[in-house]
Amino acid sequence: MARLEAKKPPLFISEPLTKDTVSQSLSLLSGILKSCYGPAGRLKQLHNGVGGYVCTTSQSSALLSCLSVSHPVLRVLMASVQNHISRFSDCGLFTALLCCNLIERFKSLNVASCTVIKISKHLLSLCMDYLKSEACACRVSVDFSSVETLLCLVRSVLTSKPACMLNKPEVDYLTTLILKAFMFTVPCRVETNTVLGKCVIVPVKGRKVMDSAVLPGLLIEAPEIQLAKPITARRTCSNMIKTALFCVSMSGDLCNPEEGAITVPQGISLEVSELNQLLNIGKQLVDDEVDLVVCQKVIHPSLKQYLQENHVMAVDRAGLSLMEPLSRMTGSNPIASIHSLSPSCYGSLKDVRIENFASKHFVHLIPNDTVVCSLILCNRNETAWDELKRACETAEHVLQLTIKEPLALLGGGCTETHLASYIRHKTCSLSTSSFKDMGCSRTQYQLVADGFCRSLESVACSLSHDGGEILTDVVYGHCWFVPSGFPSVSNWSDLVSKCGCGINGSAENLNWRLLQGQFGSPIIPGCPKDPPVKVADFLTLDCFAAKCSGLQVALETANLILDLTYVIEDQN
Amino acid sequence: LPMAFRDLNARRHIGLQQLSSLAGAGRALLGPMKSCKFIVDESTNQSTLICSAVRLIENLDLTSAAGQLLNETIQAQNKEFKTGMSTLLFLVGAWSNAVLECLQQNVPVSAIVSVMSEALNSCCEKVQCLQISIHDVNKEQCSSSVRPHAFKSRTCQIGCDILLNPQIFLDFQKEISASEEIVPINSCSRQDDDCNFNKHLVSPLVTFGSISPLVKPTGDKSASVIAGSGVITSSCNKKKLTHSRYFSTLEKSHFSSQQCGFQGYLSGQSAEPCECYGLGHLAMALSHGNQTSMKLLQSIVAYQQERAEWSGSSQFNIAEVVTCCLLGLPESYSCVCPGFVTLVSPEQATVIKYFEDKPLRILLMDGDLTEQYRHLGFNRACNVRTILEHPGLQEDKAGDLWLKNMLGILTSFEVNLVLVKGNVCENLLEGCIANSILVIGSVPRDVLCAFREVTGAQPVTYLTQLKASCLGSGAQVELWKASDGRAMDLGELVPVRVKVQGISLLTAVLTSTVASKMQLIEDQFWTFVYRLHHALNDGKVFLGGGAVELLCLSHIQMLGDQPLQPANNAMKDFHNPWVAASVSEYKPVVLQALARGWKQYLSVVMCNTAKAASELEACTSIEHHLQKAADCGSPSAYILKEFRRGDLFRGCSSPFADHTEVLKVYDNVTAKTEAWRRALDLVLLVLQTDAEIITGHKRNQLLNSHGSSEFMFL
Repeated sequence: MARLEAKKPPLFISEPLTKDTVSQSLSLLSGILKSCYGPAGRLKQLHNGVGGYVCTTSQSSALLSCLSVSHPVLRVLMASVQNHISRFSDCGLFTALLCCNLIERFKSLNVASCTVIKISKHLLSLCMDYLKSEACACRVSVDFSSVETLLCLVRSVLTSKPACMLNKPEVDYLTTLILKAFMFTVPCRVETNTVLGKCVIVPVKGRKVMDSAVLPGLLIEAPEIQLAKPITARRTCSNMIKTALFCVSMSGDLCNPEEGAITVPQGISLEVSELNQLLNIGKQLVDDEVDLVVCQKVIHPSLKQYLQENHVMAVDRAGLSLMEPLSRMTGSNPIASIHSLSPSCYGSLKDVRIENFASKHFVHLIPNDTVVCSLILCNRNETAWDELKRACETAEHVLQLTIKEPLALLGGGCTETHLASYIRHKTCSLSTSSFKDMGCSRTQYQLVADGFCRSLESVACSLSHDGGEILTDVVYGHCWFVPSGFPSVSNWSDLVSKCGCGINGSAENLNWRLLQGQFGSPIIPGCPKDPPVKVADFLTLDCFAAKCSGLQVALETANLILDLTYVIEDQN
Repeated sequence: LPMAFRDLNARRHIGLQQLSSLAGAGRALLGPMKSCKFIVDESTNQSTLICSAVRLIENLDLTSAAGQLLNETIQAQNKEFKTGMSTLLFLVGAWSNAVLECLQQNVPVSAIVSVMSEALNSCCEKVQCLQISIHDVNKEQCSSSVRPHAFKSRTCQIGCDILLNPQIFLDFQKEISASEEIVPINSCSRQDDDCNFNKHLVSPLVTFGSISPLVKPTGDKSASVIAGSGVITSSCNKKKLTHSRYFSTLEKSHFSSQQCGFQGYLSGQSAEPCECYGLGHLAMALSHGNQTSMKLLQSIVAYQQERAEWSGSSQFNIAEVVTCCLLGLPESYSCVCPGFVTLVSPEQATVIKYFEDKPLRILLMDGDLTEQYRHLGFNRACNVRTILEHPGLQEDKAGDLWLKNMLGILTSFEVNLVLVKGNVCENLLEGCIANSILVIGSVPRDVLCAFREVTGAQPVTYLTQLKASCLGSGAQVELWKASDGRAMDLGELVPVRVKVQGISLLTAVLTSTVASKMQLIEDQFWTFVYRLHHALNDGKVFLGGGAVELLCLSHIQMLGDQPLQPANNAMKDFHNPWVAASVSEYKPVVLQALARGWKQYLSVVMCNTAKAASELEACTSIEHHLQKAADCGSPSAYILKEFRRGDLFRGCSSPFADHTEVLKVYDNVTAKTEAWRRALDLVLLVLQTDAEIITGHKRNQLLNSHGSSEFMFL
């Protein structure tokens, strides 16, 4: 008997941000993310507590996907950061941290939230206008005719992930490799609607990083290849390997097992009839002089045997993720039926080889026109490999974003402090009419702007994890780091050597000041200048598109959360 | 689901403490003289005998995250190298402790990470000068083996159970006279007769405890009760177990009388020029004193080299070696046989009688041989109903029909022998016996490959696929006979040998009378096989016996003495102020921590091998060498010289020190440096971790657990 239960009324929570639980959770989350930030960030072990796989990471993509939070406010925050990560891969922690900082700073201001929102939107537009203008002193343009800047971008991504456990030679080696892989994916001929190719990561866990390699074309793991006849694909016509690509299962099982029962009289075997169907296809493939059959799923052993006897090479279990690059590489659409084949459905390849890597056997498919490549990625253990894979994917994505918009931002905290000092300078000279437009007083505006700048600066400060002082200079507005253990002295130039991004040295006296600690800035800042040299070999650079989006997402999410008045929870 | 979050206290890093306590259990497993351990499961009272780091870790309860990562690291090293796991485990422990002490002294984490990983890198580059090409190893070992007084000491070491097996004794005499190497796989050329081959190449003796009489209890009886894990590890010293001859590798008391006579006999033969047999010397140098495995390995090498000469295949191929463990035979029966040796039931063995010596038609199957088996990726349809339209006559049951069909196929193709990768249906097995067809299940893939190559058989998945072209021919099956010619009946299972003329496959038949030791023997065998394999892959080996570690220590001393601010030079390429700052200040402390790992490694090895009576004595000896190396100006030259003289850590306290000729020992290059790197990576990975995030747990469960106060919830 069904039992009816009375519906519970929904729970209303007003002014959620003022609740203790929310601010506690928020500061815990911000603490976790802060400790992960940057090349010296601390790692987190993610595991189920009963002895399963342990994921060691400091990357936002891994962290956020397995953090489960109970409060809706935090869920909003995490959802928008995850959305940013899925679009840009990079700057996830920056976005989340900035958002947390903004919420905490704005919440503590004694200004109505609608005013805060208006002012902060204005501040954001100031930032974005500056970043997009030629005058912007914290960005460098990326020259694709030389590799230096590109290498810097990739290297910055790799070094900011300490759980990859790479040493310097390994970072250099992988940086070059990732860039090489990216170059493979850029088509030689540029037409309208040019699409970048794809780099597929082939896992080889347990090997040292220096064993990693890039190969043009695709690798399909074939563990049973040593049991098959040692075959090489023949070329029937015009020196090309005629290829048939199947995305249906050819294992000979029944195609529609979902619903309804099939009734067959005794003595008739469905398996046999399926197999006959497959062998018919096989016959047609042989008649059409196909040289290579690749199947996403499994090929029935009998069909394999038949194809091999007729000198057709058969490769199965290619997997779903390879289908799109395979179809691009062979120039054919995957065949989705085993009932009819049209003569136009075949593609071609330049070469097929058997490669052995570590203890694995691969079939290596080599196309005529390379826009698809395989990055054989090695790392010593699984947890470090997984982290490295995420880092490599991020680096590839950063390069893709950069080719669309050939700009990069100075990393190592310099963009944040530079932006903050730019905003400080800019807001000093704002006319009274603009305050009127926003409906706020100059004081209110100054308060919000200060909160905004401090939020940016404290993101830069999060890069330091072992104590020590963070400085900024008045000339360029860059970020400088002094290790702990030194007494506070007036002459900082003895202690600093280079700024966070590495573009400025400490040769001249740049009039440093402490970033944290003091209330209100004593100096009216001038407009931060361009650094003297813009091209340096070893800079820390951030992806322009990702950081710009991060800034926007952080501010807009913070505004959204500040604007929350009620949380209505369905308790059923 | 709620997410829990646990802070690891920075000063007393819990993860590092866990690593250090887990690794402490592996202390006695370090070096060539390992003490076995019993691991007792308190809940079931079952115990396991282990003698390697992999088996130790496998048998421990590792629910903590650091434990899991340690397990993963050890398994990765094992998968890749099969050697170096004890080194890895030990260094993980030593470096965890050293890093914990750095934390106590308030050294920043980033400084520890960057100094340690750079210094290790620098050490790995430095020790390249102690590499020696495998070609030179052979030359060196040859020249050393004709040294006059080398011989005497070796005969001392041969405490063996030759009396068990007169035939081996004869062989041994022959071999000794052919060359005076301790392991005389000799100059005899391969003859077509397999028997002859066996006689010469395949008779290793029981493990000789070459220096084991000198092993002293190292005082680690106290070693490690791993708290709370429900598993007790206790190390059992050899001394305690000498009453059981199976657990003791020395067996001195048994053979002391024979030894004397033997020695007298041998001393008559003196130095004849040594004949080189390629990899044999290398195998010996890598064996680190394990004679049984070494002899098996040398047999394999000799066989494969001869094959390589006329077939052009590679010199040493581990894919062509399998093992077969025979429980119930004394260890002296271990040998290497061409072909595939495996165990079958007595009923199956009766089939062999009908085969006699005729060549058999062989079928290879790469799946199971059962009615239900379908190839991987085949989804069974669950909703098919079969309708019986003419329910008249009593039809055969479906299963019987299948059986009949399969037997029909096998008999019509006149198949005599079927090698199946997976399982075999019991009923079919019986039917085959009745039809004089021998079916062997659970055959490894490499074995199928070897038979495919030599017989021309093409593996099939289903019998219905079978065509005449898939069959191979020329196989022979016989009951496996021990080296003294007796066929063995081991009760439940009978060893049989499948061979084909010209097959590349070799089976190492490993024998033991003690069940718990079987696994251990097999592991050790594979370790040696892989050591040789990696040495050939690398093309070079390290000087062993502590030379490499000593050079690392002296190199670290030198790094520490370098003027401060080396960071500026090293960092020229890529400046990272967030990591690089503050490094120089803490450099000496951190370098010392790194050095402590190798120092402890050396002293524990010296204690385990009884070259030092105590760790203190070992440390003194190490310091002594370090001082001399520094005085000499070029530490690597000093170490090389001492190594060639055989003077490195030769043990000052042992009474035999004067006349124990130290055999030159070599180590794998990549396996060793990789073990270091993996160990340090693990320690640094755990060091940099400041919190655990536990997913998928119910909040209440965590709140009720004993450490609930440590958790925070989001």
